[in-house]
Amino acid sequence: MRIALKTLAVLVIGTLLGLGVTWFTVVRGTMGGGVSDGPWKTSLYTGSSTGGAALRASVAVHGLLALNRNETIYYTAATDSGGAPLSGACSYTVEGRDPPTRWWSITAYGTDDYLIPNPAGVYSASMNSVKRADDGGFVVTVAKDAHGDNAIPVGDGPFNLTLRLYNPNPEVAADPAHVALPVIKKEHCA
Amino acid sequence: MNGLMRAALWGLATVAVAAAVHIGSVHALPHLIMGGAMHVIEGRVGINHMAFAGRPNAASRGVVRPSPDLLYSTCVFDLSHGPVRVRASAMPDTYWSVSLFDADTNNFYVLNDRQAKTGGVDFTIVPPSQDKQPFGNVVRSPTVRGLVLFRTLIDDEAKLKEIDAARRHASCAPFQAG
Repeated sequence: MRIALKTLAVLVIGTLLGLGVTWFTVVRGTMGGGVSDGPWKTSLYTGSSTGGAALRASVAVHGLLALNRNETIYYTAATDSGGAPLSGACSYTVEGRDPPTRWWSITAYGTDDYLIPNPAGVYSASMNSVKRADDGGFVVTVAKDAHGDNAIPVGDGPFNLTLRLYNPNPEVAADPAHVALPVIKKEHCA
Repeated sequence: MNGLMRAALWGLATVAVAAAVHIGSVHALPHLIMGGAMHVIEGRVGINHMAFAGRPNAASRGVVRPSPDLLYSTCVFDLSHGPVRVRASAMPDTYWSVSLFDADTNNFYVLNDRQAKTGGVDFTIVPPSQDKQPFGNVVRSPTVRGLVLFRTLIDDEAKLKEIDAARRHASCAPFQAG
């Protein structure tokens, strides 16, 4: 009887431990292969079909149905350019020039990885929708109730931004860590 | 000492179970995640049939991190009864791509508007064991089930209706000779 109970305990504790390790290394962890360009991070493994089981699991969790980096490069920023986590408690400007790519967009997501509800139904700014200054530069406001041109509302909570480059120029795909990407500047906090 | 030895053995057994569960779950994750995504799409329109999702918004909860600037069209394919043909005669004049994913999330094929020589799409997905010859332009899938995903860019809000109508020319159906 005691042996049966101990065996059961080993199975239960072992299973929980095993699932826990998977949770922390794969689900909560990052994809690996990461490169940074200021606050913007991307993984060289996104959209790849190579690597071992752990990498395949990571790609499935963090980049399901994503394309490879010749087709699209996905940069994500969870902090501003100063390194502080992005939060709806503060307002930000995202300032830059068109990156070297056929098309680009900047989209805000909640920590649940879905678009953030807002009355205007605005979730992104893109190469076509953004209004530029005479010198070609653009400034996008990202804040809780941001509205009007070049504005992405993000609600109260923490959020992150994804910058997509569609059909990036070959030098971007070859070296995604050294591209002139927009600066995310914290303006003020509530 | 005997007691210590026994405790150590139980501890080792626990670690062995944990390692086995960890390795097993890591191997199973891609299949489970892809199965879940395909199940959602299949539940809406069935298999070997193109589904044209509306423009993503905050209520879109099928696949994580959708782009609100893309229109997604999907088809869960099942080759157990033969090849499946994917066609799109007149895609809109904007960036689009069609990508194929196997049942373990691996992207095994992608074609975009610049690569499509005819301006459209016409290929047949064949199962891993299928002889390629009789089906012309074929793509062999590593698994019997998988997903076709069209991304169509809304590059001009004024053309949304036009782009949406044009991407609906895409189809996905069991291959029929002739």
